[in-house]
Amino acid sequence: MATNKPYDNRAWLGVLPVLLIVAFSAVIPLMTVVNYSVQDILDFNSRFYVGLDWYRETLQDPRFIDAFGRQVLFSFSVLAIEIPLGILVARGLPKSGVWTSILLILLAVPLLIPWNVVGTIWQIYARSDIGLLGVGLNELGLAFNYTSNPTHAWLTLIAMDVWHWTSLVALLSFAGLTSVPPAYYQAAELDGASKWQVFRYVEMPRLGGVLVIAVLLRLMDSFMIYTEPFVLTGGGPGNATTFLSQYLATMAVGQFDLGPAAAFSVIYFLFILLFCWIFYNSVMSDDNEAQHHD
Amino acid sequence: MTSVSRWVLVFYCIYLLLPLYWLMTMALRSNSDITGKFEVIPSNPTLVNFAEIFSNPIWYQAFGNSLSYVILNTLISICVALPAAYVFSRYRFLGDRQLFFWLLTNRMAPPAVFLLPFFQLYSSIGLFDTPLAVALAHCLFTVPLSVWILEGFMSGVPSEVDEMAKIDGHSFPYFFFRVFIPINRGAIGVTLFFCFMFSWVELLLARTLTGSTTKPIVVVMTRTVSASGLDWGVLAAAGALTVVPGIIVVWFVRKHLVKGFALGRV
Amino acid sequence: MATIMLDELGFAYPGVLEPTLLPLSLEIKDGEAFALLGASGAGKTTLLNLLSGLLVPTTGRILFDGVDVSTQSGSQRNLAQVFQFPVLYESLCVADNLAFPLRARKATNGFSASDIQARVAKIAGELSIENLLKLKPKTLSLFEKQLVAIGRALMRPNVSVVLLDEPLTAVEPRTKWQLRQSLKRLQEELGVTMIYVTHDQTEALTFADRVAVMADGRILQTASPQQVYEHPAHEFVGFFIGSPGMNFVAIKSAGSEQMYAANGVDQSAQRIGFRPEWARLENVSAACTSPAVRWQGKVLHCQILGTQAGAPVGITTLASEAGELKVRGAINAIVGDEIEVVVDRFISFIDEEYCATHHAQSSTDYLANTADE
Repeated sequence: MATNKPYDNRAWLGVLPVLLIVAFSAVIPLMTVVNYSVQDILDFNSRFYVGLDWYRETLQDPRFIDAFGRQVLFSFSVLAIEIPLGILVARGLPKSGVWTSILLILLAVPLLIPWNVVGTIWQIYARSDIGLLGVGLNELGLAFNYTSNPTHAWLTLIAMDVWHWTSLVALLSFAGLTSVPPAYYQAAELDGASKWQVFRYVEMPRLGGVLVIAVLLRLMDSFMIYTEPFVLTGGGPGNATTFLSQYLATMAVGQFDLGPAAAFSVIYFLFILLFCWIFYNSVMSDDNEAQHHD
Repeated sequence: MTSVSRWVLVFYCIYLLLPLYWLMTMALRSNSDITGKFEVIPSNPTLVNFAEIFSNPIWYQAFGNSLSYVILNTLISICVALPAAYVFSRYRFLGDRQLFFWLLTNRMAPPAVFLLPFFQLYSSIGLFDTPLAVALAHCLFTVPLSVWILEGFMSGVPSEVDEMAKIDGHSFPYFFFRVFIPINRGAIGVTLFFCFMFSWVELLLARTLTGSTTKPIVVVMTRTVSASGLDWGVLAAAGALTVVPGIIVVWFVRKHLVKGFALGRV
Repeated sequence: MATIMLDELGFAYPGVLEPTLLPLSLEIKDGEAFALLGASGAGKTTLLNLLSGLLVPTTGRILFDGVDVSTQSGSQRNLAQVFQFPVLYESLCVADNLAFPLRARKATNGFSASDIQARVAKIAGELSIENLLKLKPKTLSLFEKQLVAIGRALMRPNVSVVLLDEPLTAVEPRTKWQLRQSLKRLQEELGVTMIYVTHDQTEALTFADRVAVMADGRILQTASPQQVYEHPAHEFVGFFIGSPGMNFVAIKSAGSEQMYAANGVDQSAQRIGFRPEWARLENVSAACTSPAVRWQGKVLHCQILGTQAGAPVGITTLASEAGELKVRGAINAIVGDEIEVVVDRFISFIDEEYCATHHAQSSTDYLANTADE
């Protein structure tokens, strides 16, 4: 934001509609959640205050801990694949021309497919009876079946998430790369820089900003993943692919355990905020150190 | 390294296209054909699945339901986000930064957290099972996003433009609607893209807040799987059709897309 | 360092009929400070890109020390370039930026870490940027950044040529001369071959040993700055260099044949040109017998540039029978005055090409001559 903007509190009038609509769709529900999280609700007429019991219970719930562990593992796995892969794809894109437009549109397509359809696409693609991937792998001699083998289910989920979201990283990185002036490449070439050095010293510094955004987005979105595993594996086999959102949805809508579900929600939300905050701060403090040299 | 990247791109595109290709071939085969034998290239392509969807009101009404809340959501988001983004980009005011970041934290909230309170809230005010309920629920994510994207673009428009209009004697509404908004056409296009992208693809809230009368397409698809069992052909055809609106939207904003991403504001 | 030979070098973009650069031959000597001067679109950037290996010539060859490098990549040619705006590795500190070209070629040039350190210290010392060595580029001013970029270009002791592409564009005017000074001094001290591309005649004329003036994809003249100024080989050179540039008068349109013939102008010459300071203003004298090239005109405006011995000097613009003329010197007329322009020295051109330089004969010589006849 520019620094020389005039100070005017009438500007609040401009943000008022946003404030009202977000208050309606965020503040009221969040207050409800917090309110439930400290009560035991047998039915809506008999409820009593239980303090932080539900929080304690949730944090000690082995199923919550398992789901949380799976969630962390999943998020870090997909980040570890999608971020480097997205950068490579972006570097491979031609800088201009007809192919650039075609490839950009192709890359954007997975982002615009309804999430459950993504699940459906991968379901019919990976099934061992009718899917191209499933049948193909079995033809190769691998006994692939993601509906019964937890490892296969995991791999399929990760492959699906990579298919679904690497484009986002690639589009962001491509935007970052197009901001590198051609003279930088020319200078590095004349300096005799290797391809790796060009990437490391010319492209990476320019990608910094967009990569922070990419990691943040992928971190929080992968942490909230619900629909795709719901369609593809239904959380199974067993609970092998049950992540936090699924567990929460089962608790809240399936079993109507309002108190525990609310406590779970608050913890869940705080965890995402915490993750993003830690990541954002670690990146920004690096930046500050760099500026501190003078 | 460049050649490595080029190869990665080629393989990634194949990786991207294969499931889509499979979806298309499935959509072009009858269910008995699909379960009967495995074929990489369909030998008896047929349009029966598409015919089924276009003749069965459950399917095409579901499409209509989905589009109605998506359009409603996009309109609401743009309308409230435009003035907010404008004042964020042009003025400082009490609590502006705090407000901006608070808005962004909403983007980080898992939809699952809001399931129950939304359900109760909209039931109690009689909005349950209306497109408006879903549209408003999606606003939780699309409004902060829209403000963020639009603010980024508008900050790039020099404030001299505002002053010029003032000097030329134009009223503020004239300036805002006839000068400023046309300048930010691209920004609005990108914002539409992302609102659409979120609202069209979301399932969890859409499923929870709709009943029998406004079932969106995403929900009809999941229910078909569980209820009528496994008509893979129709499922694939419906899936293929849900990809179409996305391609249309991305086609319209293709020129602005990279710039939108370049701002790092998604 | 190397002698650079351009042999019938030409370039045309594929599918474009008109070549961007017409075939040209040129030799740039080892250790020479050479400038390519021309307006935008003259082809100097194309020539620069051919030299740096960004473009491959469509005709002719480029030779570095007799070796044909036409199809070699920029890094193979072992050259360095300074760009219009400072190009630095943003994540590296100044010292690492300077060391980069040596470290990148460590495998082939055999520099040890201590050699590199010594070279960084030397170049930093030459540019007086020792105090910046530990800083990151983003904390530097544009001027300092460009200094570092120049330093990086000079790091390799064996660099064949340093190309400078309008290196002062981004630097603020206040520090321009300072940077130009540093460049010139370094060029002389290190004896590096430098090719300086610019549209700014002051930069070119003060920097270079020799200047090539370009227009429309051709080199019109290659000569020392003084030569280019005093003896332009082409009308465009005379017009482009100097501020204001040369005055041109078509022989047919103004003045009698006798007047030109008396000054030894070749009959086939079409135009004469003279620099504003090669003429002076005189009051109109009714009975004029002087043989000098002279026209009457009316003063349009005067631009005072300073004073000399208390009297204003500057540029007087006149509308005369020979067209609009500019004269530099003492301003002794006011707007509207009828006055006479007397040209002491001029150049005649045939087909825009230089023909001869003429010095006006004094009246006494002329009278003596006619008396003899």
